[in-house]
Amino acid sequence: MTDVCLIFQVHQPYRLKEYGFELIGKDHSYEDSARNISVLNRIADLCYIPTNKILLDAIEKHKGKFRIAFSISGTCLEQFYRYRPDVIESFRRLSQTGYVEFLAETYYHSLACLYSEAEFRRQVVKHERAVQNLLEVRPTVFRNTELIYSDKLLPVISELGYKTILAEGKSQNMGGLSPNRVFSAGLENINILTRNFGFSDDIAFRFADPSWSEFPLSGKKFANWLSKREQDEHSLVLYMDYETFGEHRKQETGIMDFLGALPDEIVKHENLQFSLPSDAAKNGPENKPVYSSKDWTSWADEDKDLGAWHYDHMQKDALKNLYACELSLYKIGRPDLLDTWGRLQTSDHFYYMSTRFWQDPVHRIFNPYNSPYDAYLNFMNALSDFKGLIMKA
Amino acid sequence: MTSKPKVLMLGWEFPPVLTGGLGTACYGLAKALSKYAEIELLIPQSDKETKLENVHIRGMNYFGINGGQTVEVPMQALEEFAKVKKIPAPSLNPYPVGIGFEKEAVALKSPEAIRALYSGIEPYGPNIMQKVATYAEVAVRMALETEFDVIHAHDWITFPAAVRIKEITGKPLVIHIHSLETDRVGELAKGDWNRVYEVEKKAMEKADRIIPVSHYTQECAIKNYGISEEKFYPVHNAIDPEESFRLPKKSGEKLVLFLGRVTFQKGPEFMVETAWKLLQVYPDVKFFVAGVGDMLEKLKALVLERKIDHKFVFAGFLSQSNVKKVLAQADVYFMPSVSEPFGLSALEAAGFDVPCVISRQSGVAEVLPNALNANFWDTGKFANYIYGLLNYTGIREEMVERTKQDLSKLSWDDAAQDVMEVYRSLEI
Repeated sequence: MTDVCLIFQVHQPYRLKEYGFELIGKDHSYEDSARNISVLNRIADLCYIPTNKILLDAIEKHKGKFRIAFSISGTCLEQFYRYRPDVIESFRRLSQTGYVEFLAETYYHSLACLYSEAEFRRQVVKHERAVQNLLEVRPTVFRNTELIYSDKLLPVISELGYKTILAEGKSQNMGGLSPNRVFSAGLENINILTRNFGFSDDIAFRFADPSWSEFPLSGKKFANWLSKREQDEHSLVLYMDYETFGEHRKQETGIMDFLGALPDEIVKHENLQFSLPSDAAKNGPENKPVYSSKDWTSWADEDKDLGAWHYDHMQKDALKNLYACELSLYKIGRPDLLDTWGRLQTSDHFYYMSTRFWQDPVHRIFNPYNSPYDAYLNFMNALSDFKGLIMKA
Repeated sequence: MTSKPKVLMLGWEFPPVLTGGLGTACYGLAKALSKYAEIELLIPQSDKETKLENVHIRGMNYFGINGGQTVEVPMQALEEFAKVKKIPAPSLNPYPVGIGFEKEAVALKSPEAIRALYSGIEPYGPNIMQKVATYAEVAVRMALETEFDVIHAHDWITFPAAVRIKEITGKPLVIHIHSLETDRVGELAKGDWNRVYEVEKKAMEKADRIIPVSHYTQECAIKNYGISEEKFYPVHNAIDPEESFRLPKKSGEKLVLFLGRVTFQKGPEFMVETAWKLLQVYPDVKFFVAGVGDMLEKLKALVLERKIDHKFVFAGFLSQSNVKKVLAQADVYFMPSVSEPFGLSALEAAGFDVPCVISRQSGVAEVLPNALNANFWDTGKFANYIYGLLNYTGIREEMVERTKQDLSKLSWDDAAQDVMEVYRSLEI
């Protein structure tokens, strides 16, 4: 029997407005609220609301046989709360079925793990509280920003009380095994659920590509692929951006219908069952193979490393300057300043600054700036003003 | 084309006498091209020290002198040529292609006067039309003594000569556009009294191929001169790799460098506007203006009026070695040109690891994707860029590193090979 975990990432950053150097010291609001609200509304209408409905209907239809999970960032939850409470309501209804799990992460979808353990903890705890408040559940499975993982995370994750972490099914970390099993990591015997990026990206990237050899993809065909498991493959993790459904791939591609039909097709296979990630982890064998990554791993690009956010001079300089504020901020202790600082930590800001992936088509989809230089300058100007605020406080 | 093609190249500026980028470009191209073609280069003023292998350079400042001896300029060359080429005598009017100012030319029978005309230090000057007209006469004479497959002419000053040589010899004409009158003076180019525009337009119409130094220049030519697309083959200028170095500045202030002619085309008022915006927030910077031109006095008055004159240094025209010294100290290279066909000095600055902030209306922006560019009027954006470069290290390091890679992709050899493609397309 193979546990199929279908997990969706839901995230929206607070995008910055155009912040020229002349505003430094004068204008202390950095965000493009109009744009952020407009994007949120569009994606709520094209994706979150309709797709949640499709999933809710399927859950009710299959009476417990269809189970899914979400990882919703704090910045996203906040924006829903403020601008689209109907989306929160729709996630609550999903939660109340009892067949939907919510994962833990850093509140600000940040790279704090690279710079500050204290800040990392603060953000994980803040996220837990938000999920508890808005969705009335406590996360038990952890997923770091963009599936960034290394063995270094284990002690702090364990201390925070998590026994299961999601990571990218990168072959060199799995000792040559396929990702379709529960792994174990470190002395704490923490469970690692590894994303099967082949199948996940079939849906998230290749689904609407007519030049793909498997186009068009039906629920039936996909379920067939999933069912062909080896003896020892007891779990299969599909993890993707939720915006795939309706935004990155528009309704006309048929992706919503595909998602709607998928549960029907999968339950037809005797050796497949939908599971919540925490259950899949519990179902793992006594002796699990080891997943180990000394270096930082992620789900991004071909290299699946930190290349998308922490690679070139601008990214590293911006991050360094940002986290240099930590000590002063903790001393001052003002929650509003800490929150502004948190929002500036969202990984998207640094993704936009990448010169390495400037021309990469996937990176362009998410990028509001014309050039990585514009992204960096904009961020650094806002940060300069913020540093000024810290000095004055 | 099985053997090396023979190119009759018509140039004007040439090292060591350089005013703008034209001489550097001509030199760089001729040098690289000489590997693939035999070149006879006709220029107003040659220098005994400046030699190029496989390029036969003939300076008009040596017209009528052969091996140190004055020789008679054979007037019957035309008639003999006519006999060989069987061109009917009446059509061998000495002025088959009227350029409108033949009367200004120094007569060929006065070689001494011709030599004197091209022996000064100023390649242009107030008698430029006389120089151009005389060049046309002399070049035709020199052309008739030469064997060549194609004519390759650089910029309007050589175009009257080039067009005439094509008319007489029937050889194909390639014109190389490094600049346009519409860039220099805008709409004034189309005024009745402007002769340069007419020369450029006629040459573009008569040419078999047109090589602009950028896609931007091609668009300008098509838009302003009404020439159709088919003849155009853009070839970017390049730069020979050079030893660069950094020098410590005497004062702690940052230095933003403006290097070029102080004239409308180079956007000096936009530089002042940018400087003013920057200085309101960041006063620790000096704007260093290296160059002279017809707008220099106006520029000085403008900065005085804006009360930022103490932040400007007017260095005048700098020698090559002094230019290098300034580049070695500059923190930012700033080129807000209104219309820049290429902008070789930006490549020079890039070669010295100076981050470049340049106008989007320039050819060089096409080969420096990691320079910061904005529309020439967007002084707010320019100021934001310069502020960022002076305050944040990440962008400076990234730009310099990436620009090094961009520069390494540029070579005069590539340009020369592109030019060879153009020649091949003529089936000479």
